[in-house]
Amino acid sequence: MERWVNESGITRRALLRALGAVGLGGLVGPALGTPWPAWAQGNLASLGPEEAVDATMKRLFGGRPIKDGAAMIKLDLPLIAENGAVVPVTVEVQAPMTAQSYVKAVYIISDKNRRPLNAKFNLTPAMGQAYVGTNMRLGESTDVRAIAEMNDGSLLQAKREVKVTVGGCGG
Amino acid sequence: MADIGRVRIRIPPSIKAGDVVKVRVLVIHPMEIVQRKDGKVVDKNYHFINRVIVSYLDKEIGQFETTQSISENPFFTFAFKATEPGALRVTFLDTHGGKYEGAADVRFS
Repeated sequence: MERWVNESGITRRALLRALGAVGLGGLVGPALGTPWPAWAQGNLASLGPEEAVDATMKRLFGGRPIKDGAAMIKLDLPLIAENGAVVPVTVEVQAPMTAQSYVKAVYIISDKNRRPLNAKFNLTPAMGQAYVGTNMRLGESTDVRAIAEMNDGSLLQAKREVKVTVGGCGG
Repeated sequence: MADIGRVRIRIPPSIKAGDVVKVRVLVIHPMEIVQRKDGKVVDKNYHFINRVIVSYLDKEIGQFETTQSISENPFFTFAFKATEPGALRVTFLDTHGGKYEGAADVRFS
């Protein structure tokens, strides 16, 4: 292939450049044409990937250091969840919510779920208090982490184990 | 399934100006789970809520990104600071383009 290209006078560099231009055009076109990003659909490609929790942490936070925030984050969870399909959880971050310093996001991550990220709560200072709660599904007994991201980018984590009697993620 | 998308919001009956108020909101929704066949995930357009938008006085104050690992008929609690009387609105968006909205009137007593 390469020999043929060279003989016909097209250099490898020119060919790659041409291909690159085509590729870029192909990427930019649909991105501009569709105002809604992929999350609007529930197809597999846009669901959270099935991955180990380490991969999730890396995807969400890169290599940023995560400090232990057990003193600041109140993670309220049952010790034993009889039904993994409905596990109540509330997260309260004892931090001021002012325009200068506030909790930007709260992540709930369960280590052993096949898709570990349960939910991400984006907050603003207008909420007055970093307090969120929901009911989540757990596949099996697992550690649950609550991670608070402050507006300056620092991360705090609290972790607790939940024992699950009956898993809630189906097959 | 007729009830799908019904939203209920509960705010405390008496609120004073400047209070930080805790709100509970519930929506009726199946939150479909990923199906597996022979250990392989079935590719289809799953029906679940993936975004919750909270707005107060027509200003967005919070946005939650949810996944399928939230229970059926999802329930959320959050806090907000009641500064003026007005509407608190919670909008749920699902993967099939559904949009469900619930509103509560914030009044001071």
